[in-house]
Amino acid sequence: MDRRLFVKQSCTMCVAIGAGLVIGSISSCATLPVYKTAIADNKLSIPETLFANSDFQIIQPKDFFYNIGLRKEQGGSYTALLLKCTHHDNQLIAMGNGFKCNLHGSVFDNEGQVTVGPARAALHKYHTEVLAGQIIIHIS
Amino acid sequence: MELKRTLLVLSLSAIAFKGIAQKAAIIAEDTLAKTKTESTTTIGGYGNAFYQRNSSTKTANVNLERFVLFVGHKFNDKISFFSEVEVEDAKVSGGEHGGEVAIEQAYLKFNLNANQYITAGLFIPRIGILNENHLPNSFNGNERNYVETYILPSTWRELGVALYGNFNRLPLNYSIALVNGLNSSAFEHGSGIREGRYEGRNASANNLAITGALQYYQGNFKAQVSGYYGGTVGASKTDVDVLGLKAGTFGTPVAIGEADVQYSNNGWSARVLGTIVSIPDAFNINAAYHNNTPQTEYGVYAELGYDLLYTANKQNQKQLVVFVRDEKFNINSKIPSNGVVDAALNQNHVVAGFTYLPIRNVAIKGDVRFVSTAQQNSNYNLVNLGVALSF
Repeated sequence: MDRRLFVKQSCTMCVAIGAGLVIGSISSCATLPVYKTAIADNKLSIPETLFANSDFQIIQPKDFFYNIGLRKEQGGSYTALLLKCTHHDNQLIAMGNGFKCNLHGSVFDNEGQVTVGPARAALHKYHTEVLAGQIIIHIS
Repeated sequence: MELKRTLLVLSLSAIAFKGIAQKAAIIAEDTLAKTKTESTTTIGGYGNAFYQRNSSTKTANVNLERFVLFVGHKFNDKISFFSEVEVEDAKVSGGEHGGEVAIEQAYLKFNLNANQYITAGLFIPRIGILNENHLPNSFNGNERNYVETYILPSTWRELGVALYGNFNRLPLNYSIALVNGLNSSAFEHGSGIREGRYEGRNASANNLAITGALQYYQGNFKAQVSGYYGGTVGASKTDVDVLGLKAGTFGTPVAIGEADVQYSNNGWSARVLGTIVSIPDAFNINAAYHNNTPQTEYGVYAELGYDLLYTANKQNQKQLVVFVRDEKFNINSKIPSNGVVDAALNQNHVVAGFTYLPIRNVAIKGDVRFVSTAQQNSNYNLVNLGVALSF
């Protein structure tokens, strides 16, 4: 195959695949649920109704520099993970099946356990409880 | 009596020290976990060494290729500092060829909010896969892939400022950076734009570059497109007019496009990357500096790997990844009329081997690189055995 044609076709294919994935995701509304709230008395209060259609929610506390991943477990309890890499404190990106750090490539699964280093420690979990339809995350 | 007293003092000291140490460890752990404004310093690093036998020259060598130390410091929740100091080839001695001591990164990071931050200083822009993810236990093969070594000159750090972020409602990340440009007078035949990097040392700020990337994450897929456009002439207009070159911010430019897709699931991993570099004024650069600068260079590679020790048990850290990778690149795909085509720079490499990780931070690697070029009778292979780590 002509070299220029090969390069052109390879690049076109890569761009097409990338664009296809992006457009496919957007068109199927594969959006990340985000809930913004403020910390009061070292606590976050999240309405349990947010989990009516999803078992995962990103919590974005005001004036906080890291998101919190809040997951509803099968037993009805909630797990709140601080999305801060335990290697060098970088913010993590939610991928749908875990969390990724772009600084050195560490990956954590949905339970906060390390699946790819260099991070070694699991993500920090906040204590949670449910009171009167509100999920309380204790920031401490 | 004296001996008993000494033993008692030593025992009490040991108990007290153990208690203090445990308390310190707990405090350190707590400090990591909390997000309150506390100043912390972290260290880390990576390194790799390997043996290589060349079938063509029938020689072998062994080298501590890289040893890098990270130091990071968090001043408060908004501002932190990160650095990497690298030593290549273990030893740098005055007057002798080889070896390098370099600041690979040294930048301040300003958190704007949970989704956005700015970096300023010497950093590695997001171009390709290897630039950001260059820890040697995170890629297969003892050597870095050649496409992201010669076409995309990883690790490519420059001075500047960058904005990183991700959208709240979309699985998209973005980055855009303004950095110093390249130096076309330093381009060398056979290495593309690689030798034109300033890497933080007395860089010209007359010519600049813009680079940006868009990343998409969804489940087991990650896709990225990135680009770079920058000037390569830092001298004054009057100095370069006589050479026929264009000075200024984006004068005598280099343009790069890159796209990659990565997939990982159930022990399988795959990645495909393609990149192309365009230097439209290569003729003028050659006329001025006689360095056989190409007008176009490109590279593509595809890699497939499988972890033979993969189990659903996530606590199992051991991995034994067998992989195969095909790399094709041409450093002089298009040469201007005043240049010379070198068939040896049109290469195809097939790399096959294994990466064994007894724990996630340590890798033992073995691979064979089969090299073929467009030049006749120049096929050979490299056998590599080595170790790598990061922490």
